[in-house]
Amino acid sequence: MKNKTAEAKKLWNELRESISKKPSPFEGMSEEEVIKQLRKTRKKLWEKKLALRP
Amino acid sequence: MHFVLDANEYIFALGLFKKASCESLIQHFTENMPLHSISICRTIVEEVRSNLAPKDFHKFVKFVNLFNPIGEDFLVPFELGSKYEFIGFKPADAFIAAYAEWVGADALISENRHFLAKNPTLPFKIINAENCLKLMQASLQ
Repeated sequence: MKNKTAEAKKLWNELRESISKKPSPFEGMSEEEVIKQLRKTRKKLWEKKLALRP
Repeated sequence: MHFVLDANEYIFALGLFKKASCESLIQHFTENMPLHSISICRTIVEEVRSNLAPKDFHKFVKFVNLFNPIGEDFLVPFELGSKYEFIGFKPADAFIAAYAEWVGADALISENRHFLAKNPTLPFKIINAENCLKLMQASLQ
């Protein structure tokens, strides 16, 4: 478990570092606007998933 | 305790939109891995994916798999999703709620007020990261 924790910490830190170097898709948005955007994405992905169902 | 984290928790914690409570929450889960369990379903993974570069997404999948294998959506009984739609959840939100019930989560963590405003009589709590941190601290005392 100690190894797993260390691996998780390493991966998470690397991820955050990598993301911090790129422009955010939510630049200049308020929290409410980001949530709204994420809800739109959720709806779009869900509709796409339903369309693929036999 | 067993938790399901909504996509917004991962996105905020990753710094795509900075929110300290979400960052602290994931940090807490990572540092106290055997103490709490996190489940994540394919739908949430796909939502996070839509905001990450492919290389970062690969790392994200490796990270979440350290907690639990990703749950495939088709395993969640359809009737459970319908139950949540019936009480007013939007279809995709209903699925996430159904997933939380199906895995036996104690709480679904989300910053989305549409989730947070829902019925308090659900089989799991719906709370934000800040309240989840308080809950976990209280359970340690």
